[in-house]
Amino acid sequence: MRGNIPALAAVIRARRTVVLAAAVAIAAAGCSSSTTSTTTSTSSTPATSATASPSAAAVSTSQCGTSPGVSATGTPIALGGIVTDQPGTSFTDIANMAQAYFTCVNDNGGINGHPIKYYIETEQTNPAQIAADAKQLVDTDHVVGIIGNTSIIECSVDSSYWQKLGYYIIDSGIAPECYSTPNSAAVNMGPRYSSDGAVQYALTQHVNKIVFDQSNVPGTGYIAAGPSALAASAGVPIVQLTENVPISDADSVAIKEVDDAGPNGAVVLNFTPPEALVILQAAQKLGLEDRVKLWGCSTPCNTDFLAQSLGPKWNSKLFVNAELTPPDVTNTPTMNLYKAILAQYGKAVSGGIGSFSQMGFTEAEIAVHALESITSGTYTVATVNAAFKAVTDFNTGMLCQLWTYGSYSLHIPNNEDYTVTPDNGKMVTAQGCTQISAVDPQIAAYRSQAGTASLAPTS
Amino acid sequence: MPPWSDFEPFIVSGLALGGVYALSGVGLVVLYRATGVLYLAFGAVGAMGALIAWSLGQVGAPGWVTWLVCIAVAALITLGYGVLFGPALAKRDPLVKAVATIGLTLVLYGAMDLLWTTSGGEARSLSLPTDNGGFSIGQIQVDWTQVIALGAGIVITAGTGAFLRYTKLGTAMRAMANDREITATLGVPVRRVEAAAWLGCGVLAGIAGLLLADLVALDATTLTFLVISSLAAVLVARLRSITLTFAAAIVVGLLHDLLTPITSLTNYRDMTPFVIAAIGLLVLSRRRVMTQSREEA
Amino acid sequence: MRAALTRPQRGQSPAVTRTRPDRRQLVRWVVTAVLVLFALFGLPQLISLYYVDTMTQVAVYSMVTLALGVLVGRVGLVSLGQVAVLAIGAWVAARLLFATTQPYPLILLEAGLLTLVAGVLIGLPALRLRGLYLALITLMFAGAITVVLATVNFPNGGTGFLGYNGSLLHIPPIRRPSIASGDPAYYRYSVIVAIIMFALVFVHIKTKPGRAWAAIRRSEPAALAAGINTTLYKLWAFALASFITGVAGGVLAGAVHYLYSIDFPTQDSITLLAVTLMGGVYSLWGAVVAALLYQFLPALLNNWGVSADWLIILFGVGVLQVLTTSPAGLADQFPKDMARLGRALRGRFLRGRFRPPPAAPAAPPAAGSTS
Repeated sequence: MRGNIPALAAVIRARRTVVLAAAVAIAAAGCSSSTTSTTTSTSSTPATSATASPSAAAVSTSQCGTSPGVSATGTPIALGGIVTDQPGTSFTDIANMAQAYFTCVNDNGGINGHPIKYYIETEQTNPAQIAADAKQLVDTDHVVGIIGNTSIIECSVDSSYWQKLGYYIIDSGIAPECYSTPNSAAVNMGPRYSSDGAVQYALTQHVNKIVFDQSNVPGTGYIAAGPSALAASAGVPIVQLTENVPISDADSVAIKEVDDAGPNGAVVLNFTPPEALVILQAAQKLGLEDRVKLWGCSTPCNTDFLAQSLGPKWNSKLFVNAELTPPDVTNTPTMNLYKAILAQYGKAVSGGIGSFSQMGFTEAEIAVHALESITSGTYTVATVNAAFKAVTDFNTGMLCQLWTYGSYSLHIPNNEDYTVTPDNGKMVTAQGCTQISAVDPQIAAYRSQAGTASLAPTS
Repeated sequence: MPPWSDFEPFIVSGLALGGVYALSGVGLVVLYRATGVLYLAFGAVGAMGALIAWSLGQVGAPGWVTWLVCIAVAALITLGYGVLFGPALAKRDPLVKAVATIGLTLVLYGAMDLLWTTSGGEARSLSLPTDNGGFSIGQIQVDWTQVIALGAGIVITAGTGAFLRYTKLGTAMRAMANDREITATLGVPVRRVEAAAWLGCGVLAGIAGLLLADLVALDATTLTFLVISSLAAVLVARLRSITLTFAAAIVVGLLHDLLTPITSLTNYRDMTPFVIAAIGLLVLSRRRVMTQSREEA
Repeated sequence: MRAALTRPQRGQSPAVTRTRPDRRQLVRWVVTAVLVLFALFGLPQLISLYYVDTMTQVAVYSMVTLALGVLVGRVGLVSLGQVAVLAIGAWVAARLLFATTQPYPLILLEAGLLTLVAGVLIGLPALRLRGLYLALITLMFAGAITVVLATVNFPNGGTGFLGYNGSLLHIPPIRRPSIASGDPAYYRYSVIVAIIMFALVFVHIKTKPGRAWAAIRRSEPAALAAGINTTLYKLWAFALASFITGVAGGVLAGAVHYLYSIDFPTQDSITLLAVTLMGGVYSLWGAVVAALLYQFLPALLNNWGVSADWLIILFGVGVLQVLTTSPAGLADQFPKDMARLGRALRGRFLRGRFRPPPAAPAAPPAAGSTS
């Protein structure tokens, strides 16, 4: 036995070296890459519209800035953004697209010669981390403006902090505080108002019952209140359900929804694309898709991935609320600029053309528009956020309406939307710009302060 | 309490869910009987194989090639783990061996999220040709994949049970799982038997991974941590009886889905596997005698 | 090293013979005291608010890894449900903080005690099992609690027993103690609470429970045969671990201001076990190392733009490494490796100048790991 010890020790040391070497190798490899570069993305079948229409090629990205071709070399203007990035939920595309827009602007004159430096913080839905990220942006990175925040809970966690410091955020909201506080204005509609849109469409099709099913993440009561109000006002009974995600048993979910809705009812879903896909595919496998009058979904379902994966049985069966202008069928200069910037500067945007990158583009666009309006030449927290707040009736080229920030106690500037439906692998428009009904008390509260914004010109 | 007709469709879907749990659960128990290790990386390995199969399918490889690759990848990873870490941990408590497989699970889980990101808002799905086609029971469609999953569960239960009991190789595996040193002194070619056990288990994990990716979701998180719910059936059978695992899994699936139409309980139905496991374990272990006194590090 | 055996004085039982602390122990105490003082007063001045917030999380989770280390390292019980226990503690603390105006220390105590009761209730039936089965049943309990939490949610200022109002447009934050409302002050507050918990464990280890646990970990049948009430002491360990984790939950509630059930998933318990093993379950420092791995490292990598997935892979590799080659974890291995490095450097440096006496290196050098 004694003689074995040196041999055993040698084996153990060798094994430990192997394991440690592996760890070092992995760590070293990790340090050299960053979140933004996905090298082997065998996963992204980037959409569909690689139909680079001839007019897209004609648009030069230099139109994003005021001095085409001139690199900005002044003192940088620091902006920041916080986005969720965890297994199953990742909004980095939004921030990366904003970054792409800023890079384009920096290559073409910057903001009066000042380049924009954009700090992106990622978080994993951990309130402590989110609060820390906010402090990092303010205390260490000294950002003067916050744009691009997209997080399940960031608005709730940081809202009072931003208010205290005087930051007026331009974000793609999800949490209730993104739409109910004075200093957050979103370019999207968020789960509640988007679900309102989907339910509203179902009601226009004269269904006699609504089943509203959503994922059990923070804010379900707040989200459910909108559809409840709409259904009550139309005199249609509504069943409110929630599901724990990730869903491991989609069959029972689909059966329950269909049973509760009945043959003349509608099932409206509010889930992220993977979960919605799983439920809809289960419904199809079980042969249930025709057992209700129609299916609805809030805006996360608006992706061509979903349309492709679902197949033709869902053509004109599933109606998805779309809070942004459909990129495939729109040929305006702004839309083409978006596609051009994505192609040239958007290597880190793994989803390609779609609502995520559209949102990032829109937020950056608004921010740049606001910054360019600052005449004093000083870019401080006070001046930049005053400029953000002052944005009024801006045509983003991505929304139904003109976009306004304003000095209101709450902000829901995007409150008019499309409805799309899958058509053989692509999402096509089923209904044009329609206002979200003021039966939702929050919408009513907003419109009483801000009025109704005009429709954006379509050319 | 809803009327009986409301429960009917959930019986069918419950059986299908039971088949899902059975596939994982039986796989786990077979591995345990053959290698002495509770292979908690079962789900992660299958998920990785399924994601690789999906990626190959995206670039145009024919279906059967992708399935073979999935099974091969799962088998290789499992074999590699078994050969590298099996001997080192052979003398340790089953708990230590199970915790070590947690290490493998974390490595695979992190790798999967790196390689197949979710940043594009993508929704991946895997479908097998057996998805199209099936038959109706009442108002519910049952597709062939669900039948295959259930059938695979039965075949694996019966087949491996017989294999482990009646064949020489199977008996050698069981002996090794029990005590590696003594089995070695009996002249059994330990390394080869061990490799065969791990390889076989890897193949099982690959097949289960394919079927589960089709039946449940092609999502790394869901598939990796599905093992936690599948452990319920495994625990009720106390990691010993493959048949009991199968039966318990069916019961868990049925009960889970039958709770769906009961409004007051429906939000809690995901607790079903855990509650059954806890009750099963605690009720079945009322009288225990300490038979061993192994010193642990 | 001074001899540990001194003749007992009259009236003193041989078992409690005091020994004079030797130099090495004194040095260790002084170093610990210096580090603690630095952590309390020096650190917040040197680092940005981002890292102050991160270190608060480290303090909170060091209590959780401490509790888990007691269970795994001292008694040999593996719990795969510690995050669920933390959630219970946080829930109780949040409910009390919203519903009452009691002072913070009292609320922490209540959270700890109620979590202790929950832990004992779970432990009583569960402790009939052993080893792998015990670990798995804690996982099952954790899974069940997670599902319940997903449905009842954390208190957010609403009314009723559950205190949850799902339709709120503005969720009120969980309050902090009036003396520690700012981030650096709350960081100091959590470090002090953590030190108290560490002291609590230290006292346990040095007295009767610690000895009983050591005997049980070594060999439970032998401990039983020696007359130790193993069930009582195992339950005591469960109770202590639950109490500490419950207090940690209370501190967490004040740190984050907002609690969500999605922040306490079952799989986090698995990661927690991984880092606790990596840090080292046999020493109190291991708990601190584990908490640094669990909270500080991700924050650091986040700042550098490295994906958190690499960390998950590292933890997996770490678990394998710990279990196969160095069971005592980093806290034990690192000083040993450093010592070995020091010896190697010294040897190289001193070669030719001074040869160490030939008697010393006869035995094989440390033979790698301790078994």
